[in-house]
Amino acid sequence: MEFFTVSLINGTIYGLLLFMVSAGLTLIFGMMGVLNFAHTSFYMIGAYLAYSLQKVIGFWPAIIIAPIIVGFLGVVVERVFLRRVHKYGHAHELLVTFGLSFIIAEVIKLFFGNYPVNYQVPASLNFAAFQLFGTDYPFYRLMMGVISLLMFGLIFLLLSRTRVGIVVRSAIYRPKMAEALGHNVPLVFMGVFGVGAALAGLAGAVAGAFYTTNPNMALELGVLVFVVVVIGGLGSLGGAMVASILIGLISSFAVGIDLSAADLLAYVGAGDWAQQVGGLLTLKVSSLAATIPFALMLLVLLVRPSGLMGEKE
Amino acid sequence: MLPKILVAALLILLVAMPGFLSPSLLNAAIQMLIAALFASAFNVLAGQGGMLSFGHCAYYGIGAFATLHAMNAFSGQGLLPTPLLPIFGAIGGALIGLVAGWFSTKRSGVYFSMITLALAELLHALAPHLKSVFGGEGGVPSMRMPAWGFTFGTPTEVYYLTLAWVVVSLALLYFFTRTPLGRLTLGLRENAHRLKFLGYNVHMARVMVFVISATFAGIAGGLLAMSNEAANYSLFEVRLSSEVVLNSYIGGVGVFFGPALGAAVMTFFGYAVSDLTRSWLLYQGIIFVAVMMFLPSGLSGIAVWWQGSKQSAATLLRYMLGWTAGTLVSAAGVVFIVELLQRALADDYQFLLVAGQAWPAIQLFGRAWLPGAVTTWLLPLALLAIGIAILKFTSARWQALNDGEAA
Repeated sequence: MEFFTVSLINGTIYGLLLFMVSAGLTLIFGMMGVLNFAHTSFYMIGAYLAYSLQKVIGFWPAIIIAPIIVGFLGVVVERVFLRRVHKYGHAHELLVTFGLSFIIAEVIKLFFGNYPVNYQVPASLNFAAFQLFGTDYPFYRLMMGVISLLMFGLIFLLLSRTRVGIVVRSAIYRPKMAEALGHNVPLVFMGVFGVGAALAGLAGAVAGAFYTTNPNMALELGVLVFVVVVIGGLGSLGGAMVASILIGLISSFAVGIDLSAADLLAYVGAGDWAQQVGGLLTLKVSSLAATIPFALMLLVLLVRPSGLMGEKE
Repeated sequence: MLPKILVAALLILLVAMPGFLSPSLLNAAIQMLIAALFASAFNVLAGQGGMLSFGHCAYYGIGAFATLHAMNAFSGQGLLPTPLLPIFGAIGGALIGLVAGWFSTKRSGVYFSMITLALAELLHALAPHLKSVFGGEGGVPSMRMPAWGFTFGTPTEVYYLTLAWVVVSLALLYFFTRTPLGRLTLGLRENAHRLKFLGYNVHMARVMVFVISATFAGIAGGLLAMSNEAANYSLFEVRLSSEVVLNSYIGGVGVFFGPALGAAVMTFFGYAVSDLTRSWLLYQGIIFVAVMMFLPSGLSGIAVWWQGSKQSAATLLRYMLGWTAGTLVSAAGVVFIVELLQRALADDYQFLLVAGQAWPAIQLFGRAWLPGAVTTWLLPLALLAIGIAILKFTSARWQALNDGEAA
């Protein structure tokens, strides 16, 4: 019971964090058809900026200012790099963001070194929210989840209840039509790109303090975020949410399961055979935790190639 | 006619190479050949088929391990004579390519890219746990056995072995582009919908192209295994997959030999520069983005541009020199800034700093530079500005020349 409850909470919060990063990506992707490989680089920049700023101006101002700077960087990337290669096609835009992710990682290494920096949860926030089966549950973890939920709510309201949202949604589904009706679609693209980057930056600023802030964090999360987008479906915010939570929960539960395929086969009397075969069959689920999201992605592709909530190919 | 002469001259040069290269340069040449083959295999999928794979190291790595296990089979006697062992790399690459290709080609465009990336990551996450196959941290070691009168103990023999395999593979890949399936591959890139309406099974065609690409990537991996006599699961890192993407596009995927050229150039660049500076990956990234922005068809695009232009060779050469000069000057500025920053931010330098005192001078390019002085930073910025000005000026002149002729 303890394992179940703790895994459930941790998994949900990890999933919410994944959502924070993939929300911007899936919006940009749905709108411009551009898979932004540099998206998790914005997440990393957010973490490093917040780390540098909090030493000077304190934790809360840093959490607010870092995403704004990252959003501005996003606007610059869209304006200077993406718009210029737009005429060569989507693959080219993808490649440019890919190159940028490379450059950003190396610049971070140039300034902060190859090793993790000491970005930590401030002492004022480092306390237990409640007791869970005799152990303290950190308040900061809960806070991350709440921030993500707030963000989801805000984006949802913004997109579904405001005029800006109508324009953005129409630009996502019918850019030519929106343009013909007199909306400045390139400006909308730039705005969405900036907001998406800022969201990733916010996620980095908040999560960097809890997890480690190192130059590989973009790469580690990057692949997972793509898995979220594939599972969730093109441009679907709800799909991204569902996929994020799913991956969060599965990874969190898998880490604690000390079973292998051989143990399961033992129930049907094939345990000895499985032990002899070895390899994949004797690996514990816990050691496979990192591979499960990818297996899930393959499964979704087999059953529903357009993703859980994707509508268009 | 000219390309044939060029290829023949290049071949002669490659065969003569061991005569005048030092062992370490010969080793670099082996790595360049392997990278060239890997990039060409990648290009069948990405350049010709329009399927941008971000996980191609999976097939490369599998090829390496398959070859190593084949070398170790029968307690080190090997399944086949040593020179034929990369065949197992091909088989390994093809088998994994069949499975991975079947999944990933279900989707196209960026989804395809993401799935290939995720599949490679899956392998990367799985490999350390499968010690019997991938050997864990220590990897799988092996020995090259003598065969056919060669000992395969010297770099020269390994070089010729690699060269033979690379030349044959590149020839096969080239002939593949002339086969019906090779022509169909271009159709997959240009208009898959139309192929579907013409009655082709697009998914099957994509899988076949994928398998061919993975097979030759496997051969490249096998050659790597032969030359290093060892491999561990770090072969599945994203870094390797990204390298082949960078190399191929820097070389230019529109021309058959473009990726091979890019891979050879960038591998040599890595060999030459990685000893000089820690920031060479940054330079690689900057080169890539600059090429993508301003030379979208890659380095080999220059040759195409030269051939397709109506201007006289002298005019073209003049503009080429202008662009080259501008690039070199601005590159000098960028390198200066990066190196200065790198040294100023390095731990051993930061350790020397005393609060309240000026930062000590940094030795760079045979001179001492004060990081606190404005002039230190003004110089590279001026270089950068001058370089960009030359580039802009040359481009504007070129534009005017073409516009004048059009009018």
